[in-house]
Amino acid sequence: MKLSVTHETTYQYLHPVHTAQHLAFLHPINSANQRCIQHQLTIDPEPHDVSHSVDAYGNHRTHWSLAQVHDHLCVRSVSEVHTYELEPHECNESWEAVREHFRYRSGHSGDPHSAFVFASHHAPIHPTFASFASNCFEQGSPMVESCVNLMRKIHTELRYESLSTDVHTPALQALEQGHGVCQDFAHIQVACLRSLGLAARYVSGYLLTHPPEGQERLIGSDASHAWVSVYVPSACKHDCGGWLDLDPTNDRWGWGSPGPDYVHVAVGRDFADVSPLRGVIQGGAQHTLEVAVTVQPIA
Amino acid sequence: MHKPSPTSTPPVVQAGFQLPDNYQVPDGHWDELRGCDLWPKFLEHLGAQGLNVLDDRLQELRRQVNDNGVTYNVYSATDEFERPWSLDVLPLLLDATSWQQVERGVLQRVRLLEHIMADVYGPQTLIKRGLLPAALVQGHPGYLPAMQGHQPIGGRFLSLAAFDLARGPDGLWWLLAHRVQAPSGLGYLLENRILVSRQFPEAFEDMRIQRLASTYRALFEGLQARCPLAEGETPHLALLTPGPYNETYFEHAYLARYLGLTLVQAGDLTVRDDRLYLKTLSGLQRVHGLLKRVDDNWLDPLELRADSTLGVPGLLQAIRSGQVWVANTPGSGFLESNALLGFMPALAREVLDEELVLPAIPSWWCGEAAAIPDALRQLSDGVIKPTYPQEGQRSSFEPAMGRNLKPSEHDAWCARILRDPEAHTVQQWLPSSYQPVWTPEKNAPSGLQSRAVVLRVFAVTDAQGQWQVLPGGFARLSAQDGYTSMQRGGSTADVWVQAREEESVSTVSLLNQGHPHVRRERHVTSRAAENLFWMGRYTERSENTVRFVRVALDVLASQHQQQQGLMDWIHAMAELQGLVPSEVVHPHQSPRVFERSLVSGLWDVQSCTSVSYNLRSMATCASHIRDRLSPEHWLTLEQLQELFDQRTAAIPNTAQALHRLTQVSQLLAAITGAQTDRMTRDDGWRLLSVGRHVERLDFLATALELAIEYKVLDHPSGFESLLALFDSTITFHAQFQQNRSPQALVELLVCSADNPRSLQWVARTLRSRLLRLQHLGSGATRMLADWVTGTNPETLAPSVLWPEGEEQPRLLLDALAHDREVARHVSDGLASAFFAHSESASHNVSL
Repeated sequence: MKLSVTHETTYQYLHPVHTAQHLAFLHPINSANQRCIQHQLTIDPEPHDVSHSVDAYGNHRTHWSLAQVHDHLCVRSVSEVHTYELEPHECNESWEAVREHFRYRSGHSGDPHSAFVFASHHAPIHPTFASFASNCFEQGSPMVESCVNLMRKIHTELRYESLSTDVHTPALQALEQGHGVCQDFAHIQVACLRSLGLAARYVSGYLLTHPPEGQERLIGSDASHAWVSVYVPSACKHDCGGWLDLDPTNDRWGWGSPGPDYVHVAVGRDFADVSPLRGVIQGGAQHTLEVAVTVQPIA
Repeated sequence: MHKPSPTSTPPVVQAGFQLPDNYQVPDGHWDELRGCDLWPKFLEHLGAQGLNVLDDRLQELRRQVNDNGVTYNVYSATDEFERPWSLDVLPLLLDATSWQQVERGVLQRVRLLEHIMADVYGPQTLIKRGLLPAALVQGHPGYLPAMQGHQPIGGRFLSLAAFDLARGPDGLWWLLAHRVQAPSGLGYLLENRILVSRQFPEAFEDMRIQRLASTYRALFEGLQARCPLAEGETPHLALLTPGPYNETYFEHAYLARYLGLTLVQAGDLTVRDDRLYLKTLSGLQRVHGLLKRVDDNWLDPLELRADSTLGVPGLLQAIRSGQVWVANTPGSGFLESNALLGFMPALAREVLDEELVLPAIPSWWCGEAAAIPDALRQLSDGVIKPTYPQEGQRSSFEPAMGRNLKPSEHDAWCARILRDPEAHTVQQWLPSSYQPVWTPEKNAPSGLQSRAVVLRVFAVTDAQGQWQVLPGGFARLSAQDGYTSMQRGGSTADVWVQAREEESVSTVSLLNQGHPHVRRERHVTSRAAENLFWMGRYTERSENTVRFVRVALDVLASQHQQQQGLMDWIHAMAELQGLVPSEVVHPHQSPRVFERSLVSGLWDVQSCTSVSYNLRSMATCASHIRDRLSPEHWLTLEQLQELFDQRTAAIPNTAQALHRLTQVSQLLAAITGAQTDRMTRDDGWRLLSVGRHVERLDFLATALELAIEYKVLDHPSGFESLLALFDSTITFHAQFQQNRSPQALVELLVCSADNPRSLQWVARTLRSRLLRLQHLGSGATRMLADWVTGTNPETLAPSVLWPEGEEQPRLLLDALAHDREVARHVSDGLASAFFAHSESASHNVSL
């Protein structure tokens, strides 16, 4: 599937900003599931110097600083991404075998994917998560089936409510209050998987949405999306590299990606590793923010 | 695996020196005194009086610690400030043979640490091969994914490492821990060496003790060599400190001064185009290298802890792009875990193909299922230690001694370990050696005592990239309870290492080496500039307020309280300066009540206008620029603080208060003396001076204006009070005897070009200081200087300013109003030209 994504973020500052440092994760990654054919990042005001690098998880990291006084920041990212569906993969490994895989034993080789077993700020390890997930992970049950069941459980038991939380709402609180947005759903599932000793990561990206029958697509009405990726060691030779993607918000899953209508931008331990745009500014105590995302199929 | 043998008695080496009978070391611990054959020689050098001389030496040492202002901040809160550095007079003596084990062992271990760093941030083969558990790397908050793949300049991740060692009962040294993030001690160590070697100069010479200066030089040159320079640049190195509230701030300032590094806080630095810059009065100056004393997770609010105010946004990006060298490379914190010690022998074998020379204390990481049975078996004799520091998602705890646990506690710990095995590490308990200390006579028990000792040694890389071990160290002595911790009130000792027979002792001493390095102009950071300016203002403000209160108390205690105008003036001045609450009863109605209010207001910690507040503010400004102040200057500031310490006593009566104010005046005079004579007259000093004169201009103009308004000069007593407030009593009477005409007063207090308290003199000085700063701020200071015109004595003679017989001299009042306006204008102008961005708050925005 060929998709075009436009992601525009605008900050208006009430008071002028003197200096700013920004970090962005907006450039979609390449994987077996997708190729980023084109990417263009426009920053206004124009920084003197923009540096691009690849981070620990293979994401494109963009850094710039602004040394001139400014009252707004507009970052526009336009990408063209081609997505592919991978062959299905059979896998009967039990979830306990996967958990054992990540346990350290002297003299046995270790797996660097263990980096995603450990607690992180937005996806901590907590008994509440483990007990929420426990009926999906019964003794000896297969890894993939258990993870999919957990995804369904989150999808059915939690209510999706736009604007019901913000980026600082802890996953535990979102689970206890029983509602949240895609970001919370993803953090909850990552936290549940880690609390069971499994390696899970947070994926930031986009999803192609379909306008109601007979209506035109509204430009800018989409949002950035987030879902989960869990590591299944026995699938590491498969094209997906062992990663099973699960989207608890939409009850979709698949090897390497929940589907060809998904665009991966970046992966990390949680939102904090991959937030699309962040910054530290000096001055400008208050600001207003506008975000507009449009995902369109290209003919 | 090496294990410390539990009980071996140290050999008794004692040559012709009678040790006191009561000198004892607990059983099962090595005795440093009897176990090292350097001690008889050292003790011989004390001369005929023997140990008795130590009382004097200790006293002298403590006096010097005090004079040099060596401190350790026990609490980080602002009001519980500092505690004098605790240093014992006797050094820890190490002979050449035992030092050799330390030196070889440290060199080997630091090579291994360097290798682990490079592997973890590179290919991670050690994790893949199962030599290093991921839980101790990616699962450790000290590992920074943001640095993954980074290749530091010259391939070096570490420039500096510290190793904590203890000597076991077998006389061998054992490693307890390594510190690589921001190891402390190199500054205190210098000070310890200078102070202790000065007490025993002959012994120090005669015993062929290794000198330290060349290793400090190697550290400096090593940092310099790795600086990424653009063409034509000379390396600029800075020391990044969390600031004056950090417990070891003293040594940050001390080390920076000794090595010739600019002492900076996060707010002094900014990143532009991946380069690091220092914000100075004369614009941005590039910084090539940073020796950091800020913990890694606080270094960059953009990528690490967003709530950090101790870091520089963009710093990690600057490091990754190779535009700045930071020692050590951020992300080394995981190496400090207690749990890692148990993995080192196998790592040494695999990586270096060597056995470790310096054994570490046996450690069992409970995160490995196979280690748990052993660990639990060790529990009752061992120590339970946290695997992780308290940071991020990891929780930590205070170490627990197995043998102090009740059976119920023991079981609780076992359960706790099994619940979260990764977080716990069990170590064997090592009975550490005991070092002699001298306790002054008034303490009981006094004389020669012994204390458990932990030795910290340092390794540094030189310009060629070779590791060197500093031939000395920093010894921490336990308090009487046996715990070695500075926070618990332990002490420290200097460490003397004997040179080997064939080695020559370097003659470079620490003192005459001083700043060994290229002379460079001192940068005045924007933050230092602001603190200097405000230090000037607070110093002057304190002096003026104190002088005013003394004058007021004199008047209130005299029969002049009948004079309505004088009382009104005192009331107005006190209220304007915020020295009394606005609702206070007028002194005319009740001089006693007003006096009480004035006296109690001096110590008001809530008010931001009290004398106490001004003195504290002055000290706060001073603490931020401590590297510019002489030790005497700092000491006087501390004495002032103590004098005005709220907690010392209840509010004194008026006589006591006057006495206290006299003492304060004397100390303030010493401080202004130090500011005038003991500081380098660079642009920073000029700003301090501008601050003082701005404040003086405003204060004196206001005082005179109000005096005219309330007709204070109509009576001799009012006239004298005003002269006293202008500190001009003696000059006036020398010049004008008993003539108390307003014109004479105007001549001395307004027009005189010689009296440093005349408005004319103050304005002129202010103008000339500003003109000396005119190269700064793109013309802003020049414009400010033009504002400060003063009163032209040629056109405006005293008799013109205040024509005889006139009650409200219009021209003079206009001139005074103008002076006040000038003071305000200069202050605002400097703030917007230089200080606007130095302290303004950063905000994190995140999407």
